[in-house]
Amino acid sequence: MKLTRGDKVFQTFNYVFLFAAAATMLFPLLQLLAVSFSSPIAADSKQVFLLPVEFTTATWKHVLQNAELWRSFGITVYITVAGTVLSMLFSVLTAYPLAHKDFLLKRPVMLGIIVTMIFNAPMIPFFLTVRELGMMNSLWALILPGIIGTFNMIIIRTFFMGLPKELDDSARIDGCSDAGILFRIYLPLSKPVLATVSLFYAVGYWNTFSRAVLFIRDPEKWPLQMKLRAYLTSPEELASVNMFLGDYDFNTTTLKAATILFATIPIVLVYPYLQKYFVKGSMLGSLKE
Amino acid sequence: MAEWMRNRTAPESRILANMRKHWILYLMILPGILYYIVFKYVPLAGSVIAFQDFQIFKGIGGSEWVGLENFQYIFSYQDFYTVLRNTAVIAFYQLVFGFPAPIILALLFNEVRLMLAKRFVQSLFYLPHFLSWVVVGGIVFELLSSQGVINAVREWLGLEQILFMQEQKYFRSIVVISAIWKDVGWGTIIYLAAIAGINPNLYEAAVMDGANRWKQTMHITLPTMFPTILVLFLLNIGNFLELGFDQIYNLLTPMTYSVGDIIETYVYRAGVLQGQYSVTTTIGLFQSIIGFALLWIFNRMARKTEQGLW
Amino acid sequence: MMKRFGKTTTKTVMAGVLAATLLAGCSNSGNAPENAGTNDGGDAPVTVKVFKSHMGVGTIPDANNEHVKYVQEKTGVIYEVKSTPPGSEPTEYLNLMIASDELPDILRPIGGIEQTLIKQGGALPLEELLPKYAPNVWNNIPKEAWDVVRSASPDGHIYYVPKVFLVPERAPMIRQDWLDKVGLEMPTTLEEYKDVLRAFRDKDPNGNGKPDELPTSGREFGKWMDHLFGMFGVAMWEGVPEWDIYEGEIGYAGVSDNMKAAIAFIRELYEEKLLDNETFLNKGDVWTAKINNNLVGSWYHLPANLRDRYTAMLQGAPDAYVKGMPMPEVEGYEGFVTMKSMGEPEWVIPAAAEAKAPYALKLLDFFYDKSNDEFIRFGIEGMQHEVVDGKKVLLPPEDSRPIALGMRNLTTEEDMATRIKETIPEDMQQMVTDIFAVSKADARRIAGDGLPNTVYEGYPDIQSHKLFQEYLTKIVIGEWPIEKFDEFVDRWNKAGGDKVTERVREWHAKLGS
Repeated sequence: MKLTRGDKVFQTFNYVFLFAAAATMLFPLLQLLAVSFSSPIAADSKQVFLLPVEFTTATWKHVLQNAELWRSFGITVYITVAGTVLSMLFSVLTAYPLAHKDFLLKRPVMLGIIVTMIFNAPMIPFFLTVRELGMMNSLWALILPGIIGTFNMIIIRTFFMGLPKELDDSARIDGCSDAGILFRIYLPLSKPVLATVSLFYAVGYWNTFSRAVLFIRDPEKWPLQMKLRAYLTSPEELASVNMFLGDYDFNTTTLKAATILFATIPIVLVYPYLQKYFVKGSMLGSLKE
Repeated sequence: MAEWMRNRTAPESRILANMRKHWILYLMILPGILYYIVFKYVPLAGSVIAFQDFQIFKGIGGSEWVGLENFQYIFSYQDFYTVLRNTAVIAFYQLVFGFPAPIILALLFNEVRLMLAKRFVQSLFYLPHFLSWVVVGGIVFELLSSQGVINAVREWLGLEQILFMQEQKYFRSIVVISAIWKDVGWGTIIYLAAIAGINPNLYEAAVMDGANRWKQTMHITLPTMFPTILVLFLLNIGNFLELGFDQIYNLLTPMTYSVGDIIETYVYRAGVLQGQYSVTTTIGLFQSIIGFALLWIFNRMARKTEQGLW
Repeated sequence: MMKRFGKTTTKTVMAGVLAATLLAGCSNSGNAPENAGTNDGGDAPVTVKVFKSHMGVGTIPDANNEHVKYVQEKTGVIYEVKSTPPGSEPTEYLNLMIASDELPDILRPIGGIEQTLIKQGGALPLEELLPKYAPNVWNNIPKEAWDVVRSASPDGHIYYVPKVFLVPERAPMIRQDWLDKVGLEMPTTLEEYKDVLRAFRDKDPNGNGKPDELPTSGREFGKWMDHLFGMFGVAMWEGVPEWDIYEGEIGYAGVSDNMKAAIAFIRELYEEKLLDNETFLNKGDVWTAKINNNLVGSWYHLPANLRDRYTAMLQGAPDAYVKGMPMPEVEGYEGFVTMKSMGEPEWVIPAAAEAKAPYALKLLDFFYDKSNDEFIRFGIEGMQHEVVDGKKVLLPPEDSRPIALGMRNLTTEEDMATRIKETIPEDMQQMVTDIFAVSKADARRIAGDGLPNTVYEGYPDIQSHKLFQEYLTKIVIGEWPIEKFDEFVDRWNKAGGDKVTERVREWHAKLGS
């Protein structure tokens, strides 16, 4: 392909802009990393910029040796995996009829669903409903009450609706049922959007917090974000570590930084892995068949 | 009368026939519908506390009905219109600047040819989404402080320092820019998925016709993204007055109250801290009604040209 | 009532759910105290559920925990701790407990929840039970405090056990080493204080050659700069105006003439850069860092938390020394350090837990019994403390270690002395003790101490001090002239301040009678 002069100028500008902006986005995490490897006094005195000051691994040792944190980590991984799989199943099954041209109740059902997106249930009735269903203290309470994210479901539906109608017809001629069309034609063609929505669900489950606060009383079932909050929102309590005699090489500030990273890095790594599904032309193969 | 009967029974039998033919679609959607009834509509019925003087000890059954008194209470709040105006103005800015940002960024990403660079930059862009507003708020405050980068640059240029966070004229820009910074990368993901669905043959054909990159973008990429853009726009409109408490709360100072006090911060003071659930619910209902009205209008408009949401 | 919800899942039919949720809310009626039988038994230990928010790090102890067992041995009561999950809004959480009928047997209320209980008939009157089952609580808490508690209820009953704090917790502090460097004495008057601040600003007391000193500083919302208000006789509590006597009557400190004078003074300081110009933008961590980095000369905080700050200061300034600053005198005003020492609710017993009230009180009494002091402070060896060189040393709280319940919230001077000994390194103990002595000399209990927050009902903006904060900050940074203060007084009254004032006066009259 030939590049015009204008194209070249644009390309250069584009690269510079994107890389500069990306650098600002990496910066906060790098700083957290530096703080987590610094001494408490340096951290509290805001002397840490991008490199650790008075380097120490004490904070990370404390965090990584914390069995409770690892247990919460396990719970979060569990609900993320199980929740994402179930959510995808429910969402696809709901989105498909709503995208199907022959489904008569399409409009009223859609309207009914949209309404729930705009009108939010007050907290107390929501809490009581879930409790009456016997989900108190159960990990199901972290999955079922939000198993379909309306936004996500609508995204899938929009994508389904964008698929060429001819696909439907030719499949039907080949003897495919409605279910067959969904699983044999639609899903394989929808990899980019399915990857996207899975990512949305996974991140949502990973960050599960407010529902856990409402429904999980048993500390052994607390997901990671709740553990993280324990460090983030009650600094005075954690500071009490230092209220006692004895020298610690970590404190609230460094622990906060380390736990934020501990709770963020794993989910951040999912994206580059899923990226391959966004690569241009992933639809090509299936269309040519 | 008989005619009316016929008209009524006709669609019903149509649905029955449709059900027989496409029973599997009805079966598929059943769990979804159950979910919405159980977890959304049942608790939603609890919104009736907006018309009660809800006493937590007595529950919905025992609390007194007060009609529209709660609505009167919020409308008679002396700063209600300030709060409403602030909310609407910020929401409008978010829509005008915040909404297109990820679309533009997705198009810019699309122009990056080096696959490795593209993936690397994309991955960095979505990092800030994972930081909480407490953390981002702290960063914004430090960035704009007297020791911060911006003021260092100003000093270097021989300009006087500005304490941006305590001047109300900068507040809304700070809100919009920080929101874009935090979530623009995350927002592109959905558009990238839409772009990924474009058949490369289309581009090849366009190149044959002599279309440059700009034309390809305008005539192929954007139109393909359009249904997604439209859907996202409509969903945004529905929640127009909901700005999210965390961001504003973490950026607000008493010096910017007059431009930054929004519905959510008011709800926090009036409802959460005072435990007035009826008031919180009433305000929520008010927000939803406005949102739904807006959505209704825009959805009708959308249906004239394209697909609406329903 | 407290059955395991996880097991009953599928039994519930959908329609039932709908009806139950919508109608029941939290009908308490059908619930007879299910443990009534154990009441007269005497021998069988009784389990009491104790709710306390913010328990800190650590696991919740179970019935086999040594600490629980020891308490059981002494009282016949097994305590079961309930706490808010991390990150939850405690008030909201307690409200949920009420809504779902899961109230504990004794709880520490937050966010005014005790008033909800009292108003809706959900709190148990305690004045008959306390002398009988909790004599130590009854006798150790001064009568004055019980009077405050009575005044906070509409019918004069005692519905809760109050928190009592008989020493001032906060103090104005100043860098003695800076005073030495600029060659000035401890200021005693407003003018002297201003001179000191000017010298701090101009004479480079931190010796780094840069004019980076912040003579005095505060935090966002005007928090932690109470010394600047206190000089003018304004009752301030962490930046929040309190209720005290002005012109012979109890009123809101925020609208008093004293406040106007104080704000005018603070404006001057700001203009002369004697007050950190970023005061209203300082988040807690930024403010702490400024003090740690030897940038601040005079500030207001908790002497008991000085340890970490002082350690940091010493890194950059080996001769750093902190002293308590007596309130500088201002002509025409009587300055003081605001003290709130009693009346805040500490323990409430829900009416629904009446059957267990004697046991809950017995448990509480254990913690107020002087003879248990040592155990309450140090707990069990290996769990709460270890023995080093024959001395008991408290262990730092940790995620994996069970926490021990503490229920006493009565701090006397003696308690404070012990606390300093236990939590402050030896070489800093004298310094901290001295600071306390200075602030104690200036401290005064304000007239509005113990005011129930029901007075604010329906006026969230008065309760949140939003209007006050807006005018304070804008006048101080110079965006508005001091004359705007009168407009504030007017608006405050119109926003409901006058109604709240009426309620406060009624309460105060009742307290006096």
